[in-house]
Amino acid sequence: MPTEHPTPIIAELDRDGAIEEALAAAGGTTRRGFLAAALAGAGALAGFPETADAARGPKRDTAILNYALVFEYLQAGFYTEAESIGTIRAMGAERETWARTLGAHERAHVTILKDVLGRKAVARPFFDYRGVTEDGDAFTRTAVAMEDLTVALLAGQAPRVSDRSLRAAFFSLLTVEARHAAWARRITGFRPVAAAFDEPKTLAAVDRVVRSTRFLVSRPSRESRRSPRFTG
Amino acid sequence: MRMSAGPLRRTVAAVVGGVLAAAGLLAGCGGDGSSDSRGAPRPAAEVETLPEPVTPAFVPGAPELLADVESLAWWSPVERPVVARAAPGADARAVARLEARTPEGTRNIVAVLGRRRDGKGALWVRVRLPVLPNGTVGWVPRETLGGYGSVRTRLVVDLERLTATLYRDGRAVFGADVGVGQPANPTPTGEFYVRNKLRRYANAFYGPVAFGTSARSPTLTDWPAGGFVGIHGTNRPELLPGRVSHGCIRLRNDDILRLERLMPVGTPVTIR
Repeated sequence: MPTEHPTPIIAELDRDGAIEEALAAAGGTTRRGFLAAALAGAGALAGFPETADAARGPKRDTAILNYALVFEYLQAGFYTEAESIGTIRAMGAERETWARTLGAHERAHVTILKDVLGRKAVARPFFDYRGVTEDGDAFTRTAVAMEDLTVALLAGQAPRVSDRSLRAAFFSLLTVEARHAAWARRITGFRPVAAAFDEPKTLAAVDRVVRSTRFLVSRPSRESRRSPRFTG
Repeated sequence: MRMSAGPLRRTVAAVVGGVLAAAGLLAGCGGDGSSDSRGAPRPAAEVETLPEPVTPAFVPGAPELLADVESLAWWSPVERPVVARAAPGADARAVARLEARTPEGTRNIVAVLGRRRDGKGALWVRVRLPVLPNGTVGWVPRETLGGYGSVRTRLVVDLERLTATLYRDGRAVFGADVGVGQPANPTPTGEFYVRNKLRRYANAFYGPVAFGTSARSPTLTDWPAGGFVGIHGTNRPELLPGRVSHGCIRLRNDDILRLERLMPVGTPVTIR
């Protein structure tokens, strides 16, 4: 039987309590953080006031799509890594089915968003999941938090999409992510539905939570222009 | 069973009309939009005027199940200098010291081979090390490494046939003749990995591109920067294929440029 869980499990990712502060800033604009950096050069969604009608249009839709793509990269990478290195296989049949299915969905989401964005799609960032993908319990608990956060993210952004067919697609992604969140909660013994209403989160709130995980890191430098000193 | 739009719409309208009627009764015919101003249930005909759902701009394809994870190879950057140990645990024998940077100034990376927890519950990662003797592996704490990168490629250098073959997902996608070490300075055999890529330098001897590997010359141990074995181009293509180098693997320049497009840093290298 699912256990009671009075507060959203997102709090587990909010190690420094940043979300509390960010949630209080509803309607504000984001700082230049995780998402702003990820979106640099692709239309800075973070620069758009959340309520400014003047900012509506294809440019903002592109920015929102890229925003969603970064999040899908984050999730797809998370499930893919855990599955590839054997963590998911070791979790038992029920959890394996759950995690493999969600990973397959997130990868499909990455593919379609990249297709839709074409050359405007942001490149895949580099992630450091800091051992979470290598521990079954940590993996499942973080998966719940990630799915909850994705629901809050899409709930906040879908209404801001100006193109109505694009908005319709976003709502379809949102409902799937909500099912993911409920499944993840059930798997881990939490109540599948946390509350009667899903509170949308501001960009600032999502940004702060993701930054607190430190999952998004700089891509390590692996190229140089120095003259080789190999043995020749 | 497929249903045409007309009957389906009438059926939906009838069902919705019935639901609205029931809602109107249960709600005491309140002004909640489910009944008209006189409290009568909204007729089905009116419901038929509701718009169709908006067609989504995109629909994701089928779920992408992960296939062939066996062909993935993993690498990770060294975040800070660390002593690699013979077993998972701070008390285990020291094997080698790992630096965070290569002599070429790039981030030092290691090939990730496995993981295990020590007696205290700390996570350790088994890595292939760029040290002598070649083939050395060791264990480092997980927190001394960064994120994991993965590749689906593998380079095989055949010292007898003097060829290099790149495989992706087990299929050969590149092949070329190579020059390898002279008998006095042989190219080492074993399992290694590509740890960086150098370009746009001004040194024709190495051609336009040079990959650094974790392999080291067993004979030229006092060579500058540690005597690492590279995979690079050449300004003497007429010598290839042959046993002509100091241990490095030389390719013709057009071949190394082709390989550059196909082989990411982190690719495992088998020299046999």
